[in-house]
Amino acid sequence: MKNNNIKMILLFLVPVAFLYTCFFIYPLGFVLSTSLVKWNGISSMKFVGIDNYKKLLTDKTFLLSIKNNIIWALSGGFIQIPLATLVALILARKPRGWKMLRTIYFLPNIISAVAIAMMWKAIYNPMYGFLNAFLEIFGIEGHNWLGEIGTALPSIIAQTVLYIGYFMIIILAATTTIPKSFYEAADIDGCSILQQEWYITLPMIRGILVTAMTLAMAYGMRHFEATFLMTNGGPAHSTSVMGLILYNKMDAFRLGEANATGTILIFLGTVVIVLIRKVLSRGDAGADSVQ
Amino acid sequence: MKKSIFLVLALSLVMAGSLFSGGQQDEVEEVTLKWPCIWVGEDSKAAAVAALVDQFNADNAGKITIEIEAQPDYDGYRQKIRTSLTAGIVPDIFTVNHGPSSMEFYESDLVMDFTDELAKGWEKDFNEGTISQATMKGMIKSLPYEVAITPVWYNMDLLKKAGVSDYPKTYADFMDTAAKLKAAGIIPTSQMTGGSNAWTSMLWYSHFLASIGGPDVYEKPFESDAYVKAAEVLLAMYSDGNTSIDAIGGDAGVSGGHFLAAESAMFINGPWYIGRVRGDAPEVYAATEVGPAPAAGKNKGAQIGFLQTNFMAAANADNPAKAAAAVKFIKWMTEAENVAEISKQAGSLFAIKYDSSTISDPLQQKFIEASNNASFTIPHLASVVAADVVSEFGQALGSMALGESTPEEFVEMLKKVNNQ
Amino acid sequence: MKLVLNILKWIVLGFFLFVAIYPLIWLLLASFKSSNLELQQNPFGFPDQWMFINYYNAMVKAKLPSLFMNSIFVALVAVSLNLVVASMTAFVISREDFKGKKIIFTVIIAGILLPIISFMVPYFTIIQKLRIYDTLLGLIIVYSTINIPISVFLLTSFMESIPVELEEAATIDGANFAQRFTKVIIPLSQTGLATAGTFCFIYAWNEFIMALLLTSSESSRTLQLGIRFFTSQFVTDYTAMYAAIVITIIPSIVIYFFFHNRIISGLTAGAVKG
Repeated sequence: MKNNNIKMILLFLVPVAFLYTCFFIYPLGFVLSTSLVKWNGISSMKFVGIDNYKKLLTDKTFLLSIKNNIIWALSGGFIQIPLATLVALILARKPRGWKMLRTIYFLPNIISAVAIAMMWKAIYNPMYGFLNAFLEIFGIEGHNWLGEIGTALPSIIAQTVLYIGYFMIIILAATTTIPKSFYEAADIDGCSILQQEWYITLPMIRGILVTAMTLAMAYGMRHFEATFLMTNGGPAHSTSVMGLILYNKMDAFRLGEANATGTILIFLGTVVIVLIRKVLSRGDAGADSVQ
Repeated sequence: MKKSIFLVLALSLVMAGSLFSGGQQDEVEEVTLKWPCIWVGEDSKAAAVAALVDQFNADNAGKITIEIEAQPDYDGYRQKIRTSLTAGIVPDIFTVNHGPSSMEFYESDLVMDFTDELAKGWEKDFNEGTISQATMKGMIKSLPYEVAITPVWYNMDLLKKAGVSDYPKTYADFMDTAAKLKAAGIIPTSQMTGGSNAWTSMLWYSHFLASIGGPDVYEKPFESDAYVKAAEVLLAMYSDGNTSIDAIGGDAGVSGGHFLAAESAMFINGPWYIGRVRGDAPEVYAATEVGPAPAAGKNKGAQIGFLQTNFMAAANADNPAKAAAAVKFIKWMTEAENVAEISKQAGSLFAIKYDSSTISDPLQQKFIEASNNASFTIPHLASVVAADVVSEFGQALGSMALGESTPEEFVEMLKKVNNQ
Repeated sequence: MKLVLNILKWIVLGFFLFVAIYPLIWLLLASFKSSNLELQQNPFGFPDQWMFINYYNAMVKAKLPSLFMNSIFVALVAVSLNLVVASMTAFVISREDFKGKKIIFTVIIAGILLPIISFMVPYFTIIQKLRIYDTLLGLIIVYSTINIPISVFLLTSFMESIPVELEEAATIDGANFAQRFTKVIIPLSQTGLATAGTFCFIYAWNEFIMALLLTSSESSRTLQLGIRFFTSQFVTDYTAMYAAIVITIIPSIVIYFFFHNRIISGLTAGAVKG
């Protein structure tokens, strides 16, 4: 039976093979190989070996960008996910209006990153924005949030990390797989809610938590849009990220360096993901197997 | 359910296919040239340019059609053009800010060389020296079109309100004036570190370079100490409330916005902005005087002037009909009468010889006067250095303005990027 | 103790509610205000005068209806293409056995973790070479392909849970390979398809970078690109700019209002199964 179907199997795989090769495999190879050349996109490529990498890794701005990406990843994994988990755990107990709350929390995720970025840029506006006006009520001095080195990066991170809807829903969904009987037994034993969450819920949703953290950190390593739209890497490169460096290099016709940046981005992203799973999984089933 | 899915998909693919084929042109008789044009929407030249294109299309109906593709986002447009070049696509007609980065276009076979056409007498239509500025490595692949001077705009109403009778001529005057302005609750200068090129502040810096370094200041970029001294002056512009708090990270909307709202007293921009001010802020328009920046060095009365926008065209080597049509259209756009019309409506100045006596706009006349009265003119910094230095300028400026770098370090940062 | 926890609980919920909703409300109110000055002097209150003209200006200048149609068209077709290709792939991987199956699956799934942003240069080159630059078709192909890894992932784990007996029954009834796919698995995978489709739709609807890279003319511009462009048009007039942003948010909110149950249950089911 298996052999007869081979023809159909292959046929069914043709579309994905074609598209995937064109848009994932070929670009990956292209980016890796042209990271070793000097090329401005028009004239021919000149092989320069690892020069591009040397240049990038000794560039202060690039190293700062890597650091910022790591900050983004850590914020995603260790601020956003815990917050999302907190809200998920609260909603899992189904307080009044939980369904509506769930719907509202997810709303910002439906709105595009562009609209959210523009909206927050308005909120952070030092002269006409909401935040400074709000702080003025309490007598706290306003800042040029996106224009000061100490506040720029946290400001952009805040408007990503506080939107927990997406991860919260996934984690919440995972909690529904926990049998109610566990909690009932715990109640009988006199466990407090906090103990129940710590000893029952969290271990049981461990798999989803690891997946969520991995995703959040992966997104952090490749972050680009909000920074591009809100500060373009400034002030003084303090919010720069690798994606932005890539974009700017492409803009300046330094395509070899752009692709070297892309390669480093891919490499570091992979390292982060593998590391996280190693540290947190402890041999648990990963995301690609069904429980 | 699956049936409707496939139906939707099939229908969509058909529709998509028709979209795809929409981009191809009718090669047999009519020639269509696409022009991704930045003079649309809010740009002050939009109306005049649209009218000229319509006229041309009407005059050449059935033979040539120029299709404008609106590009209201200057930065997005710039990026689009350069990425297109990377993939070997050049629009039929387009414009560029002429500078060292134009070299990439000049070196491409896909861009039309106008040398032969110009030699046939067309060259005489252009102002002295402009064609040679557009010549790189012996090729003339762009045509000077819009030129600009960017004097300082002084809002005389605001100055009077602060008790100052005339705009500052020296640095000491400026400090004095700034103190009085601040006492009256007025922001002394408009500045910006954002956008892709920190435009306003970059122009201020260029003015200071001119005054301190003289006409040859660009000979060794970032080497002479004029650069550090000019940076110190620029830093002063950002200190003690001499500019608005949103200048750091701000873009053209911020610096221009404050001036248009009569909040800041001194601003820098080119003649293309005249139409905007006239329309959006008539009182400010009436109160504006233009002149040199307060002299930061021993050279007084310098101005910043440069080729603002040049026309370029796709070589279309395999399609002589298209190539000829492009030349015909650009010749139309560079006709003295047409240029005069755009100038009148928008306030822009041009590299083509035209009769400017018809210009009735008082602010525009002041521009022309300022240009004539300049002791010498140099281009702005961004037009003489590479693209990465231009984008680094805003970042380095932000760093200096926030006290993270000294003026020496500011210059070092730019020098490093310039020499890579 | 229980009271303290209760209070904390509502503080947390309230905080995130505020974060999710209030910026939108503030933006809405600000968009009706008359000038930058009013924004400064009256930041929280209702506008002194409801300047509907801000909205009229924004809509007319930005040409929103055509942007909207472009975005809808691209998103719907991209989702269709994506689901067709991904479901075929997931079917074969989850229900059949063949050499190299695991490798193929792993390679495809690895795509989820590849940062698309690294591929700007090759994507641009490919789209140009295929001569679909500046067309909606270019965006459709790119958007649907980028989401193939995640759709395959979701659909595979979904399809794996469909009992083999159902397929065997169909085979006994005379169904061939393709019919097993179309008549058995697909109908049973509706929830999975809805989830994968939702992910893909949201992505396509909100996407910005590739749209910026791969299109230039107004006729192929999507809504998100439109926002970027008209915020640079309204550079000095913040209230009009806010109106423009509100207008682009409205379609998303309307769609969400009608489909939020389906969207959330799709996500939830996907999370449980996966």
